[in-house]
Amino acid sequence: MTTTRRTLLLAGAALPLAGAAVAQQRTVTLGYQLPLTGEFSQYGERFRNSAIMALDAFNRSGRIPAQVNIVFEDTRSDPREAVAVARKFVDNRDIVAVLGDFSSSAAIQAGRVYAEAGMPQLSQTASHPDYVKISPWQFRNITTQAYEGPHVARWMAANGVKRVAVVSIQNDWGQSVVSNFADAFKATGGEVVATQMYNPGNREFRAVLTDIARQRPDAIYIGMFYEDGAAFLQQRRQLNIRAPVYGTSSMYEPKLIELAGPGAEGMYLSTSFMAESPEAHVKAYVEEYKRRFNSEPNMFSAQAFDAVNIMLEAIARAWPDVTRQRVRDELARTKDFPGVTGATTFDPETREPAKTLARMRIQDGKFTLIQN
Amino acid sequence: MFDRFDIFFVQQLVNGFSVGLVYALVAIGFTLIFGVLNVVNFAHGEIYMIGAYAGLMALIFLAPPWVALLLIVLAAGIVAGVLLERAAFKPFRRFRDEASLKSKAMRESTLLSSLAVSIIVREATEKIFGADMRPIPRAYANALQEPILIGELAVASGQLVILGAAIVMFLTLQFILFRTQIGLSIRAVAANPLGAQYVGVNVDRTVIATFAIGSGMGAVAGILIGLYQGTIFPAMGFAPGVKAFVAMVMGGLNSIPGAVICAIFLGVSEAVATEFFAQGWADLVAYLFLVLTLIFFPTGLFGAGRERV
Repeated sequence: MTTTRRTLLLAGAALPLAGAAVAQQRTVTLGYQLPLTGEFSQYGERFRNSAIMALDAFNRSGRIPAQVNIVFEDTRSDPREAVAVARKFVDNRDIVAVLGDFSSSAAIQAGRVYAEAGMPQLSQTASHPDYVKISPWQFRNITTQAYEGPHVARWMAANGVKRVAVVSIQNDWGQSVVSNFADAFKATGGEVVATQMYNPGNREFRAVLTDIARQRPDAIYIGMFYEDGAAFLQQRRQLNIRAPVYGTSSMYEPKLIELAGPGAEGMYLSTSFMAESPEAHVKAYVEEYKRRFNSEPNMFSAQAFDAVNIMLEAIARAWPDVTRQRVRDELARTKDFPGVTGATTFDPETREPAKTLARMRIQDGKFTLIQN
Repeated sequence: MFDRFDIFFVQQLVNGFSVGLVYALVAIGFTLIFGVLNVVNFAHGEIYMIGAYAGLMALIFLAPPWVALLLIVLAAGIVAGVLLERAAFKPFRRFRDEASLKSKAMRESTLLSSLAVSIIVREATEKIFGADMRPIPRAYANALQEPILIGELAVASGQLVILGAAIVMFLTLQFILFRTQIGLSIRAVAANPLGAQYVGVNVDRTVIATFAIGSGMGAVAGILIGLYQGTIFPAMGFAPGVKAFVAMVMGGLNSIPGAVICAIFLGVSEAVATEFFAQGWADLVAYLFLVLTLIFFPTGLFGAGRERV
């Protein structure tokens, strides 16, 4: 009710100005909801850095005769705050599309608001299967566990692993890590001998490690972020557990090795972005990021960079008819977008992205690409 | 079920004991301050975090020997504790009349003001250092993280250090409380603040001394545990703070030995619970014990009939 009235009032107020507005330079506005404070703020910081880089390059290029700007709103990646920000973005008629949120839980809650209001939403990281099922308005630029889990399961089977213990964070994403991997691994004839979920915020893994060590697994598969992962790997070394560890792509972060030290040695993981890649556009991105923000980009920064570029590309294609509906339709047409996380195609129906995954191992304190 | 009682179970007890010691290190300072003020100091977890960051900065810029490191952290903790007292607790002691001193509202205000300070300090640390975990210079991290194998059991060197630190802190505190002048005034204020004031104890000075001692110990706990866990980040004080709070309540709110025993009990039962349930449920164990204690022993397991502090 309030929304409708406010919209009418705005429309009424805008009418007499419409003629004048055409003469002025147009601007296109995007919303970006992300965690800028709280536990996950380091991720939000990376998203914003990458977004600013992509935006500057786009505005400099003059692809469309208008300036694009992004409104950043902090949600702490908390589902409740995500909903509040989503309502705010929906009410702002200038905003034609939204990027974010970070966690699947926050992105899904906000997604319900966007689905109802008809606002295209592109998350750089929400990888829970349910996220894109909310409505045709949801997109993501991350391969999901439905894609990565079977990939790792086949990899392990090829390395002769028969018995696996799985440890994963207890949230929507963590559950999808466990279920997708377990199904695929059983299909290869292997056995999941132990599954442990831990509460977010827990960094004490000795009890979990001791429990899974009893089952004498050939390998451990961990679904977590690099900080939890670093604690896990250090404590595994302290307990002298020798089973090799395979990690989700979320652990690809140079700081993992810095934090875990000798504990990280020998870990396997897959990724869609590699900072040491020899490809020219990846090199250019990595160098500019380092120069401007004085830190190393990781997979999260790269995914955000590509997500913003895919969004800008969709806006350029929709120009001059930049409406929420048109931007959604153009996003759904994304095909072979040459991003820093590999060529990306969105399935027009499921809106799931397809990318290539590379395999890595940590050796001598470095992420090393494994040649297939 | 009995096939569970193998070497891994013993390892689990060792794990649990060391987790319990971590809770105990935090609970000691927490309980000391509660005993004197009869109010929860919600910023104790942040003092613990400040200790870890102060120690980390010292490691990076000065690379001091271990003794010097502990002294630097102790000093940082004392300064932080005194500042905390000045900012969050002192303003509410302006009114010296009996009604105000006994007023619940006054006590509850300090509860909120300490919570406010804790949020401000944590967010400020996030702004300055970032919310992510800080890498620790390898030489120091390795010293507390080396595995020591005893047969099939593994303990980390840091676990032994923390055991030592817990014993030293506990004994030092008992010495201060029962063998020194300031300890006598702390016990007097804890027993009866008005009475202590009437017989000439300087209540203000005693409260500040309590904060200095409790916070110094909290800060040392922060750097030791941070190095041993390898996890130093702005929100690091929250989880052990909550468990230390549970241990304090179970122990009877103002009994330091009670809090230490309950902390170790909590750690061991969490580790053993992981044997039977998912880790996610282990946290429930702590709260289950808290509820059971409050129902069956409203004054805590070690609270009734004991002298405070």
